[in-house]
Parts: sequence; C-alpha cells; structure tokens
Amino acid sequence: MRIFKNLNIDFMSMRRLFYVVSAIIVVGGIASITFKGIEFGLDFKGGTEVVVRFPRVVEIGELRDIMRGADLGSIEIKTFGSNRDYIVRTEQKGVGTTISDKIKETLEQSFPMGIEVLQENRVEAKIGAEIRRDAVIAIFIALIGILVYIGFRFKLIFAVGAVIALFHDVILTFGLISFFTGIIPGLNLEFGQAMVAAFLTLVGYSINDTVIVFDRIRENLKLFKSSAFEPLINKSINTTMSRTILTSTTTMIAMLSLLFLGGEATRGFAFAMAIGIITGSYSSIFVASALTLDWAKARNIKITF
Amino acid sequence: MKKNLFRIILIVSFILFSVYLLLPTLWDARHQKALHGLSPADSVKYYDENESSIRNAREKRLKLGLDLQGGMYVTMEVDVIQLLDKMAKNKDEALREILEETRVEAMTSDASVLDIFSRKFNERGIRLSRYYGDIRDSNADVMSKLRDESEKAVERALEIIRNRIDQYGVAEVSIARSGSRRIILELPGVSDEREVRSLIQETAQLEFKLLADENVQYKTIENIDKVLRGVSIEDEADTLVAEGDTSVVAPLLATADTIDTDEAIAADIIDDDTMSADALTDTRLSPEEEMEKFRKENPFMSLLIMTEFGYFATEDQRPRISNILDRPDVKKVIPDDVQFAWSAKPRTFTDTPVYELYLLKAKPELTGEVITNAQAQIDQGGLGTSAVVTMQMDAAGSREWARITGANVNKQIAIVLDNAVFSAPNVRQKIIGGNSQIDGMANMDEARLLEIVLKAGALPAPVEIIEERTVGPSLGEDSIVKGVNSFAIGLVLILIFMLMYYQFGGFSADIAVTFNVLFVLAILAGFRGTLTLPGIAGILLTVGMAVDANVLINERIREEFALGKTVRAAIDSGYSRAFPAIIDSNLTTLITCLILYQFGSGPVQGFALTLMIGIICSLFTAIIMTRVIMETTLESAPKLVRFG
Repeated sequence: MRIFKNLNIDFMSMRRLFYVVSAIIVVGGIASITFKGIEFGLDFKGGTEVVVRFPRVVEIGELRDIMRGADLGSIEIKTFGSNRDYIVRTEQKGVGTTISDKIKETLEQSFPMGIEVLQENRVEAKIGAEIRRDAVIAIFIALIGILVYIGFRFKLIFAVGAVIALFHDVILTFGLISFFTGIIPGLNLEFGQAMVAAFLTLVGYSINDTVIVFDRIRENLKLFKSSAFEPLINKSINTTMSRTILTSTTTMIAMLSLLFLGGEATRGFAFAMAIGIITGSYSSIFVASALTLDWAKARNIKITF
Repeated sequence: MKKNLFRIILIVSFILFSVYLLLPTLWDARHQKALHGLSPADSVKYYDENESSIRNAREKRLKLGLDLQGGMYVTMEVDVIQLLDKMAKNKDEALREILEETRVEAMTSDASVLDIFSRKFNERGIRLSRYYGDIRDSNADVMSKLRDESEKAVERALEIIRNRIDQYGVAEVSIARSGSRRIILELPGVSDEREVRSLIQETAQLEFKLLADENVQYKTIENIDKVLRGVSIEDEADTLVAEGDTSVVAPLLATADTIDTDEAIAADIIDDDTMSADALTDTRLSPEEEMEKFRKENPFMSLLIMTEFGYFATEDQRPRISNILDRPDVKKVIPDDVQFAWSAKPRTFTDTPVYELYLLKAKPELTGEVITNAQAQIDQGGLGTSAVVTMQMDAAGSREWARITGANVNKQIAIVLDNAVFSAPNVRQKIIGGNSQIDGMANMDEARLLEIVLKAGALPAPVEIIEERTVGPSLGEDSIVKGVNSFAIGLVLILIFMLMYYQFGGFSADIAVTFNVLFVLAILAGFRGTLTLPGIAGILLTVGMAVDANVLINERIREEFALGKTVRAAIDSGYSRAFPAIIDSNLTTLITCLILYQFGSGPVQGFALTLMIGIICSLFTAIIMTRVIMETTLESAPKLVRFG
C-alpha cells in the first residue's frame, strides 16, 4: 500500500500563503488567550477540590444551587467525564480537611443515598505558583536545549527556523486550547501538570518531524552540491512526506484512543497532543523549512555541509 | 545467519531478562487472586505456606501508582516561622511583630522565609543575636546557624514521621525528602486523611523510661504464654480464647483485611492441650520433638529469640508478636505499671536483622522538653575513637536527671520517641550538671540518628501540609480499566495499520513494537518504578513514536528498492541511511523528556520516565531487532520479504 507515489509538490512556492494562514491562527489564538483566557486547574491555582460520584444523574445547575448555600466563596463545578461525576472546587483553603469536609457535608445533605468521593485534593497557592514557574522554566529550557542541539548537529540557520517553528506550535496549540475550552461538552481542558507534560511532549514530537526534514535536506545538500536551495528543500519534503503522514497517523491513533477511551486524567493531554501532532507536521514544512529558506535567501547564504 | 548470531543471542537474552524481571509481577497477581478466592482460614494457611514467595513477589512486582491503586500523597514543609518562634531565646513584642510580618510577606513572596526574616531585622536595625545564637555572633553567623537548624528540622521531621509509620504498619509507604525543606509521603491504599494527619502533625513525645526488672519481664512473658495456652492464671481462659480476634497477617498484607484468624488460633490451642497431655506420658523425645513441644507449650516465648542481652524478634515475627500483645486477654496479664516497646531500628547480630522487645516502666522518668542540646561527635577517649552523643539539659531537668541517674546506677534507661526505643544506655554514675555522654554507638550514623531523636524532644519540627491528594479506590480501578483499554485498542490499531501498509516490513515493525512494550514494563519493574496513568499514556505514546523509527527505515528501503537495488542491498542501505535521522529525532525527544522529568512532579515524572525508557528501547528494537528478523527471513524465505 502506498499513499504517495512519486510525490512532487512545490511546497516552497506556497510558503507566503501559509505564512498568512499561520499568522491568522496565531493572532486569533493570542486573541483568544487574551480575551477568553486559559482555565487553570488546581495544580496552578491552589485550593481545595473534591471529585464526587453521585448516586444518580445530576444536572450542573442543581449542584450550583446546592453549593450556593455552603458559604464557601466562589465555587467552581465541572463534569468529570460523566454526568454522575463532578468536580467541586473552591480556592479557599482551610486548616486541614475543613473545606473538603464542608463540601462533602453539604452534598451529603442533599443526597441522603450517599455520595462516593473519588478524589480529594488540596494544594496551597505557594505550590501552585511553584508548579507554574517550573512549567515555564521547563518549556524554555527545552527550547534552548533543542536550539543548541540543532545548531550543533546542523547549522545555526536551521536551528533558528526550528525553534521559531516550535514557538509557533506552542502558541498555536495554546490558542486552540483556549478557543476550545468549554466548547466541547465533557472535555476538560484545564491547564495543569498533565497539560504541561503535553506541551513538552509536543515540543519533542514537533522537533522530531522537523529534524527528519532537515536531515533529508542535509543529505541532499551533500549529494546535489550544485542544486539550488529551494527545489532541494521541495525535493526533501516530498520524499519525507510519506513518513511524516505515516508517523503522524500512528501517533494520532494512539492519542485518539487515549482521548476517547482513556480516563479523565489523560483526556486534556491527549487533546493537546492531537493538535500538536498536526501543527508539528505542518510547521516543519511551512515554518521551519520555509523560514530557513527565506533567511538563506535574504542573507544570500550558501549552505554546505 | 552467522553474522546475526551475536545479535540473536543479544535479543534472546534481553527477552529472557525482561521476562525474568516481570515474573514477580505475574506471581504477585496469582498470589493475590488465590488469597482473595480462599476462605479466611485457608488464606492464612496459604499465606504461611507461601510466605517467602508472596513477600518476594510483592517486593519485586511492578508497582502501581497512587492514581491507579488509590491512596494518599502528601507534601509537607517545615514551618520555619514556628521554628523561629520556638528557638528564640526571649520572645518579646518586637520579635512577635517581625514574625507576624514575615508570615504575611512569605505568603506572597518567592523569597525564603529566613531571608525575609533577616531583612526585617536589618530594616529595624536590631541584631539577630539578641534572640538567637551567641550574643557576640554577627548577623551572618546567626543566619548560618538558623539555616542549619531549619535543615536539621527537616531531618528531624523525617525521622519522627518515619518512626511513627514503622509502628503504624502501613505497607509500602514511601517517605522521601524533596529539596531542602520538603518531605513527600506516599501512602498507597490509605484514604483516612484524619489518621494520616495526626500521624504527621502530632507533637513528638520523647521520654526517658527505666527498663523493668528482668524477672518481671520473664514472668510477664510466661504469663502471656499461659493465656495463649488457655491455662489462665485467673481461670478464665476459655472465654478469653474466643475473644482473640486479631488478624495475624493483617499488617503484612494489604488484602488481608478480610482474613480472620480466629479459627486458626483456636485450632492451635486445642491441639496444644492434647499435645501437652501426650507429652507428659512420653519422655523420649528427639530434639525436633523437643523444639516442637517447647513451641506448643510456649507459643509466645517461642516467637522470641532469647539472649543474655534481652529478647529479640525477626522482622517477620514482629507483627505477630505485636498483635498478640494487643489482644485484650493478653493485655490483662501485663502489669499496669509496665509496657512493651520495640527498638526503633533493627540490630544485626547475625545475618538477619532483629528488633529488641523491651519491657519498660510505664511512667516516664523525664520527658524530652528538658533537653537543650544534643550533639553527635567523635570521642578520642581511652579506647580509641568512637562515636558518642552528648546531651545537655536545662537547670530543672539537670536536677531531676541527677536524682534519676543517682538512684539507678548500673541500670538501663531507655530513650523512647513515640513509643519506639532508640537507645537504652546503662547508667554508669550519677550525672550532676546535666551534661551527659551516651556511648556505645556502632558508627557515626547511629550517633547522628540519636542526636536527631534527642533534639526532637527539645525542638519539635513543626510541619505544615502544603499539598494533599487522595484517590479513592473506585477511581483507581476505573483508571486501570480505562488506561488498559485505551492502551490495548490503540496498540492493536497501530499494529494492524503497520501490517497493512508495509506488509513484511510492517510485520517486523509490529514484533519490534510489541517487544518494546515488554521491555519498557520490564525495565520499569527492574528499577522498582511505579506505573501511573500518565505512565500508561507514555507507553502508548512510545508505541506511536517507536513506530517512527520503523517507518523511517521502511520508507528508506522502499526508496532504495525503487532505485533498482536488490532486496538485500535495499535493506542494507535503508538501515544505514535512516540511521542519522533516527538518532537525531530520538535524541531531541529525549532532551525534552529529561527536562520534563527534572521539572515535573509525581505522575508527570512517571510519564517522562516511561517515555524515556520507551525511546531508548525503540532504538534497540527498531535498529537491531527488525534487521535480524528481515535478514534471517531473507535467507530462509526470501519470498516473504516484501515492503508493499
């Protein structure tokens, strides 16, 4: 079976069009992040949350009414996978288990048949701030590490293209997550530690794709020393296209399986990764390779290995 | 074939080694299943028969994370402000004000509490030495002392909690220090938050207790044996025996909650009576029978190892003995003014570590608040260098200490922290002035531990819980089912896809990917890692990405084939040309995994770890394993080798 046989598309001639496409999505994403924002989970905000399974199907409005009487400040209620399981959360942190006990008591009064506590978490704001800081540091160190590695294994000009592509992927995925938050029912896209893991993994995955294309460019540069840069990039992308599609497909199968069949804890992760797989493949062509080409052209650099 | 012989041996030994690493996991599952299916009495029997195998499998199995088996995860931090308050020499209004301001600022600041605290002093122009350390110390000196103390407080808290947990008998608790100020506690299967909370936050009790007279100890043990034999000293044995409902194996085994040993014990006791009656008539006993007779007649004493230094028990016997001591009927024969206590740490006289069972006077002679300082040091005295601990007491304590030591020369006084005996030194002479030296420590580590324990009495280590996560057992089960399902379905779909797309190439990639999963699990088990839900996600992602190396190779082979090369030549150049791309792409992913492992916590680390192991294994399976499969098939059945 073959999806592409002797593929020959002039990707690089389309790059300006896709610069515009990327710019629109990135700007839209930033707008969504700015105006709609990102929902932060307990890991980042700190507070107390109780995940409860109710004996029957419950509407979220009903729970809001029940919890309103509890005098616990602003209370956030979210579904946890099904319409019997809910997260009840407050940013208040009492001494010990006082807050979670209060939440449980309030719910038990309205559900005399009994509720089942699936999970109980309490995080101090201090820890939340640390996790947030570590997440930002981690992503930046990863980007720098990759910049250095690519610069070392290829050429600095490639590294710059690759890292800009990564920034593009991170911002775009961020934007799309912000956009999709609350739009798909039952899909919780809160930003917590799992989401940070997803971002770092997609950084790794996306660079993976870029490296494969660059590797082919490097090889072709050695083989066809007299060829112009642009057709050479096109040739490299075309020959690696089938691999890109295939690996993306298998990884996508894995992530979709996790998204639809996996537990609540890994759902947001799988969603972010699924977006990342698409943007990663896209950006290796239209951002990383294209920017490298444009930079080489603008500076009139002749790349040789 | 010859060329591949080395590779084949390598692959086969890898597979065998992986199976070896995963066997305990399988054994453990079988044991647990067997124990669940048996009646209470039978399960005790099963446990006794297979004890070493069960323990071994439990220890070496692939453990599940808290998110999958349920349990509690707690992060604690030493409350530095409370510590500063406790340590201050004089507590006036100015100090209280500064402490309060520090507390408020620390809540929103990233700076360390100590730095804020010292800045407040500088702002007011007050010297730190007014409250801490020596009056001649500079601010910097005091700060370094305070920093040292807060470090030590973490150690102290760690030791206090570890000591309690050892006695609490929770299976497989992990307690670890994280960074310079934090302690992370993981309690699988525990969901009673209140119990854990009191375990962590109660103030430590340090006491000095006299050892009970040896005769009293022997007599008490004898009396316990009488109770267990059913020959009660107060003639109420029959009713008492029926009361004993402690489950002997409970602390050893998480699943033993349902096991009740009533029947087993009762059966034993009936046996005893008939046996001892028989024994009276038969005087010719072999040594084994002699042992057996002693065991039957002294069910309690025979669990102990008697030496001239005292009574000891092995790790295995300890829970049984503790359970017997907890029985209400046994408690009745222990005099009110004494109590049993275990040594906190095992001793190694022989190969097996043993715990000492002390009998102490119940009323403490002195409590730990009187201790002002303790210090482990090397003593250069008469018999060469040895580790010792010196201890100072305050004025009131010193007076008491002089009286106590004076009245008990040549007797042992136990140093007891939360009911565990850390040391029981012999009093050589009356100690006046409150400066004592405790020697006989085996090494400096032992001395340091005693220093920590003694200071626990003087300076409590206030800890606050800053993070607490509890997963209920039903959510854990749910997560296992969902995790396994999504993994299995994802894996099967990928395998089918590869097979369809690359035919033979896909087949060899499938084998590689499947073994990759085996290797990841085996390495995880081998390193005593835990499998978490994100970990399962990591393995699934590994499968998706491990295919990548295979895809790169297969695509290259197709390309080379299209250039008109023979199958063999295409395979050769396919592998060698795909190699740099495989290395580069996997190394970059590895970089991000390492960073994730470094900065992530708990479950996220589990994810990063499985992904890292998976990537490294995939290099082996994709580059070496698939090649052997292709080349050997090419030799034996060349027609099969097609790449679609």
